[in-house]
Amino acid sequence: MTAKPPRQIVTGRPRRREAGRAYPAIEDLYTANSYGQTLLRSLMRAQLGLSLSVLAPAAAVVALYPLLVVLVPSLAHATVGFLPVSLVVLGGGIYPPLVALAFWYVRRARRIEERFIELLLKEKEDGG
Amino acid sequence: MTAPASIAAVLVVAIATGLLGLRGVRVARTPADFLVAARQVPPVLNASAISGEYLSAASFLGIAGLAMAEGLGALWYAVGYAAGYLVLLAVVAAPLRRFGAYTVPEFVEGRLDAPRLRRLATAAVIVISGFYLLPQLRGAGITLQDSFGAPYWAGVLIVGVVVTIAIASGGMRGITIVQAFLFWLKLLALAFPALVLLAFVRHPPLDDVVRQTAPTFPRPTTVHVPQSVTFDVTHAVPVSASGVVDGSAVKGSYLLEPGRHRVEGGSTLVFPAHALAPHVEGLHPLTGAQWASPLVRLNGTLTHPLAATYGVIIATFLGALGLPHILVRFYTNPDGHSARRTTAVVVLFVSTFYLLPGLFALLGRLNAPGLYVTGQTDADVLVLPRVQAMGATGALLAAVTAAGAVAAFLSTSSGLLIAMAGAISHDIMGRGSRAFRSAALGSGFAVTAGALAVAGFSINVLVGWAFAIAASSFGPLLVLGIWWRGLTRIGATVGLLVGGGAATAAVIASMAGVGRTGWPAVLLAEPAVWTVPLAFAVIVVVSRLTRWTLPADVTGKLLALHIPEEIRSLERRKTRV
Repeated sequence: MTAKPPRQIVTGRPRRREAGRAYPAIEDLYTANSYGQTLLRSLMRAQLGLSLSVLAPAAAVVALYPLLVVLVPSLAHATVGFLPVSLVVLGGGIYPPLVALAFWYVRRARRIEERFIELLLKEKEDGG
Repeated sequence: MTAPASIAAVLVVAIATGLLGLRGVRVARTPADFLVAARQVPPVLNASAISGEYLSAASFLGIAGLAMAEGLGALWYAVGYAAGYLVLLAVVAAPLRRFGAYTVPEFVEGRLDAPRLRRLATAAVIVISGFYLLPQLRGAGITLQDSFGAPYWAGVLIVGVVVTIAIASGGMRGITIVQAFLFWLKLLALAFPALVLLAFVRHPPLDDVVRQTAPTFPRPTTVHVPQSVTFDVTHAVPVSASGVVDGSAVKGSYLLEPGRHRVEGGSTLVFPAHALAPHVEGLHPLTGAQWASPLVRLNGTLTHPLAATYGVIIATFLGALGLPHILVRFYTNPDGHSARRTTAVVVLFVSTFYLLPGLFALLGRLNAPGLYVTGQTDADVLVLPRVQAMGATGALLAAVTAAGAVAAFLSTSSGLLIAMAGAISHDIMGRGSRAFRSAALGSGFAVTAGALAVAGFSINVLVGWAFAIAASSFGPLLVLGIWWRGLTRIGATVGLLVGGGAATAAVIASMAGVGRTGWPAVLLAEPAVWTVPLAFAVIVVVSRLTRWTLPADVTGKLLALHIPEEIRSLERRKTRV
């Protein structure tokens, strides 16, 4: 890899929360401080753990229902009130948990990030 | 037959969409334009637009049609189409937004420093979009057939040519506000008729559906036969026919003896009340109990139902990640967190929508068994209101659902065609609007020709195949690319070739009719059950074996994927000081 030219700022202060570019500022992140690796690992592990804790229950429910129907065949054509159980589950009951998981995930993922930012700010003050 | 109210509805939606789209001709589909939009698009509007682009003819017509034909197990497609967004939310939404890649080819190039892999990903985009476009045009053919009485091929041809030319000339861009409008139109166009038919229009008790030994006409019913059909009669039924039945012109009463009968297109049959509905050749008749089973059937039979059901689940859960026309929409989110919020709202919106197709399937089986005679179960949503409600109410409700169907195939087919032509012109032909135009014309006409050939397939099965290919190619690539530092260029290449190739080959073999029974039928028709694990395994193993092709600075790339935007501005200020 050839050496990168030094980064120069020619247009004044970069805006906060700048969204206006096609690719992220990877160059800026090359300068991540030495504990960046560890921090990144812990952030990714926390986020991945959260993702799995959302997807695992969803996967369990959808994997177990067909299995249950194979094991208890009468469940296939049972009715609840006027509706077949299959319709109540696949056309209704399965969605509220999915939606709840989605909104719960958004809140938790944000909390992980906020904690991460706090941690980084503290380290920066300590170090600087 | 023709339905004036439906014709009016179809034209109104098409023209309104065209006009709304024309206003935004200047708004091209480049990242910069989405970024311009990003500052003004709130999550709910953005989520409406994503849902609008996502809910295709498969969701609007196909799920109800397939569930009516093959049983409630088909509702797994709806569950998966919604849950796919939960997976997208938990796995890719925020990281992809932060990385700044808005198509999978861009992501693989940026993540793996692999320009050649980008070409391969582009090829996969073309295959997936192509497979996804076929059923949209099939939906268009059915809708125009139902409302205008046009032959199926004419409907496909008209919509295919019009959409292609509109896209090629720069109109009908996927503008946020148009797609958002089309989402609410689709939701209401399904919810309102469902509510009316369920609550205010006479129908047999709903639980009859489980008790019936076969679909039964609840009252004397006129069945229009749009194109020639052959069907099987189990119990002799006296009908009143008008047209050509079994090779001779009939006008008046006619006894359909048990056995096979052929009715020419344009004929009508009036079935008496309580008659068992004959089934079109190739459609497996199901008892009510069989129909109510929540397991996925293949051609009407429960062949290894668990494998088939899990195949649908895997394909739809992971397939949404790789749909080429959806990811680009996430660019209208200003940052990763709002990408997550938008996606959660999409889960809510599409889940709400998917409460409805099952009801249409149920009401269709009870009220419109004539669709089993003609084999046009995909037209259930369009036909049911007229058959169940009759008269002006029926015509009005049918016009509403026809409007929704037009919204469905217009929104998705334009998004897909733009994604496909954009990929071809950008990555293969060289940039520029002339390249985009010829790519749009070429791919649009090619897909239109393809759609004429798939008249025999269920809309939803075709879309399921597009999801299976996406899930086997881009699904593993995105998951591992975002969460695993060990992914290498060669691992990704081989995985994409093996996973995507195997799924595509299986789907084509299934379309060609290879392996109609037993395990081959299941493994070819629902390939995701084995091609997705295969793709994951191949990527991991090959990446481990080819560590020397790890991209430079994996850490920098993972930082770009996972670091919240706030930190980025901090780092930037720090380097300056």
